Amino acid sequence: MSINIKWLEYDVIVVGSGGAGSQAAYAAAEQGAKVILVSKDPLGSSDTKISEGLATVRESGSEDDSEEVLSENVKLAGGDLPLKNITDTFSKYSKEAYDNYRMHGLRPAINKEKGGPQSLPLPMGGHNRNRSVGHENHGVAFGHANWDSVIKEKNIDYIEDAWFLDVIVEDKQKNEEAKKIHGGIVYDASNGVLLAIKAPAVIIAAGGLSTIFFPKTDTMRGNTGDSYAIAMRAGADLVDMEQLQFLPFCLASPPSYEGLLAGEPSTASYLGVLRDKNGKVILDGVHLRTRAACSEAIMRAVADGRGSPNGGAYLDMTANKKLPKSGPYFMRYLETSLPTAYINARQALGKEAAKVEKVWEVRPGAHYMMGGVRVNNEGASVGGTGEGSVKNGINGFYAAGQAMGGLFGANRLGSTSLTELAVFGTRSGKSAAKYALNIKFKVNKELFIPYITEYKAIFEQKGGVSATSLKNILQKESWSKIGPVRLLEGLNKIDALIADLEIKLKNVSIPNYTIWNQPFLDYMECKNMLYSAKAISLAARKRDGSIGGHVRLDGKNISIFSQPYSTVVRKESNTTFLVDKLHRKRTPIKELVRYKILEFKRLMEAKILLMLPKSIQDQKLEKRYKAIMSVNGKAPELMPGGDEAAIGDSNRA
Amino acid sequence: MTQNINKNKILVNIEIVRGDVSKSINYEYTKRSEEERPMALDVLMQAQNTTIPDLAFRYGCRARNCGVCTIDINDRPRVACRARVKNGDKLSAIATLPVLSDLVVRRDGIPRQLRGLKTTATGNDLNVEAPKEYHELTACIECYACLDKCPMHAKNFDKGITNKVMEDLPNPEDGYKYGNPFSLLKLERICLDPLTSDQGKEIAIQKAVDLGLESCIACPGCKCGVGIDLKGKVIKPILERAKDKL
Repeated sequence: MSINIKWLEYDVIVVGSGGAGSQAAYAAAEQGAKVILVSKDPLGSSDTKISEGLATVRESGSEDDSEEVLSENVKLAGGDLPLKNITDTFSKYSKEAYDNYRMHGLRPAINKEKGGPQSLPLPMGGHNRNRSVGHENHGVAFGHANWDSVIKEKNIDYIEDAWFLDVIVEDKQKNEEAKKIHGGIVYDASNGVLLAIKAPAVIIAAGGLSTIFFPKTDTMRGNTGDSYAIAMRAGADLVDMEQLQFLPFCLASPPSYEGLLAGEPSTASYLGVLRDKNGKVILDGVHLRTRAACSEAIMRAVADGRGSPNGGAYLDMTANKKLPKSGPYFMRYLETSLPTAYINARQALGKEAAKVEKVWEVRPGAHYMMGGVRVNNEGASVGGTGEGSVKNGINGFYAAGQAMGGLFGANRLGSTSLTELAVFGTRSGKSAAKYALNIKFKVNKELFIPYITEYKAIFEQKGGVSATSLKNILQKESWSKIGPVRLLEGLNKIDALIADLEIKLKNVSIPNYTIWNQPFLDYMECKNMLYSAKAISLAARKRDGSIGGHVRLDGKNISIFSQPYSTVVRKESNTTFLVDKLHRKRTPIKELVRYKILEFKRLMEAKILLMLPKSIQDQKLEKRYKAIMSVNGKAPELMPGGDEAAIGDSNRA
Repeated sequence: MTQNINKNKILVNIEIVRGDVSKSINYEYTKRSEEERPMALDVLMQAQNTTIPDLAFRYGCRARNCGVCTIDINDRPRVACRARVKNGDKLSAIATLPVLSDLVVRRDGIPRQLRGLKTTATGNDLNVEAPKEYHELTACIECYACLDKCPMHAKNFDKGITNKVMEDLPNPEDGYKYGNPFSLLKLERICLDPLTSDQGKEIAIQKAVDLGLESCIACPGCKCGVGIDLKGKVIKPILERAKDKL
């Protein structure tokens, strides 16, 4: 039985129904475009829904906040890799985009005096001003607003259980300036058909790639790198693909909890250390270290055969607990500063561990891709030198949310990802609609034929391999080769493995039923995972030193004073990939020096504390805890992935 | 059967559905340690990674937040990532929605019920605080456990849903005709939203009536998968709002 084709015609296709996709679809529909939203998971079930639910809203707190201050904050946090016109746009529209969310049912607490959303009382997650707004029920509240934007408010056509496979691209023609989009091809698993959707604009908002690794954090299973793979196959540029955020302290067991967050460097508190299986300290002063440094210490121990039984190391916080005066304060701090992580640890590791009477087995987990599709400040695909231009990109191709690159560079501030998808989801939707409503060409049906032929054939592919087994191999190997730490030798090995798995993929057996064909879905996701792994490997090879989320054990740390650059990856043909460097403008030296001095001061203070007699240490720590805890004995909440949760990563000058 | 239980194994029964053929497969879960008490999702993942590579099931966050992994365990709906399994348990697709394959059901007939129900007016003052009850309802993760034993939802499938043949079932494309606790929760949330105009509230209440709210009058109540008091916070208030229409 061969799979049937159904033809559809729209102005704009939006791929993904999380925060970026829903806001893009809404904005495009608002412009009068005929929109279809395609989602492989149930509508709105994305990383937005499971996030901490904190949004960056400029000027919601501090009086002296401004567009310039926020933009520079984001740029410096990203190790000077982000593009200024993108951080400027993020900053400028953060209020407006957030208000759109409120129109769709997101209801924060209100600051009656200021007449706006109530920000948290402290600058958090690496921010230099108070501007993070929290929400009841965290990301689930955003999930409802995303759902409402698509279903209730705009009556947008949507299909869930639908896998977007590829965009249809036309090469640059004579007398024309750029490549352009003619639509997309989709597997509608509920109805068992292939959809050939004619449309001049496609917005990719299909999230990240954390699922190419295991373990990973609670990020959605669907993060199989679809965004980047679709972009690569279309011939679009990807930037900063080596910049992947790993959270170092995730649970290593039991299996149900593997990869879920247990803590952050900050929650290890003043006396937390990492130990190997023999009890030897492999990293002290954990609370001041970067996430990358913590991951590196764990991975080095594992590589030397000194790792814990489940491939990690031990986070030892017992010294904090033992001090008579400050101990109880530490416990309250641990319980309240990152409550979801503490609950995970208590459920997974048991009562004794929850009381910090024994060490916690931890290992790093893949979390967030900071790189992505190379776009301008409207989310439109760009290419070429410098900031790039649309004529060197693919006309009609857009990306928003975790799919896009260029905003976060090597690191990101807490609470920025939800604002990013509101800003760039909305902007890409608007821009794509305007483009689609003004095109001067007719979408060409003929261009679909090779794609239809290819996918029809896959539905009848015979073989002896299962795609799930290939996925498992890649997840395991990605972890050690392009995971929290990287070596040239490992990059060579992963490239060979990817080539091998690509061949094996052609031998995957796909049964001939058409409704929810699980082997086909696994085949497609595996293919996308392989493309994404390739992009990371190429970028990680080009950047031969460590910065932000990228650690090269065989390279030097890249100094913040050196000339910053981004990596760019592109597929040139079926067999060749291009990887290059894009130079970025450096922030003035004066700012950078200020940051370095602060960093040095913090480390010295920590070293002095460790040298003091226990009783004085105890007194000093009691005072410190008292200073950060509020009257009700709760610590200010930290954000997983935020700068505050890893002081060593903070770029706050 | 009880005398020979291997301490390192858990035997479960998984319902496999492909097209109109369904069968039951025994799967032996291998524990990673003797103390391990696996969740249903661990069992499904291991089965897919070993002897049933084409096993179809949904999951997302593994931390009870995304609401997509709901299955029936011994015929009761549970969120698979946080439901422990024991020897002899039966894992199957939730019985309240049509099965696409194995443990995967088609969900979209539920949300499509509320398509185009525009209830917010533009130009409203955004800076009005929402009541506590509003936030109690946004805790819903849309796991659809509440469809279980709902007499209103059951009316959609008057010929029964167990035959698993799509053609005999109502078309989900336009949304199911009869409602359910989730849809009513969405409508009550609209009524609680300070940004909803009086006209918007009227639209929401009428929609609840049109979805068959009258079924709730004699119903003993529904059960939420994440602990929201559906009867007290959704059904009672919306019955009260609609009392003149019933």
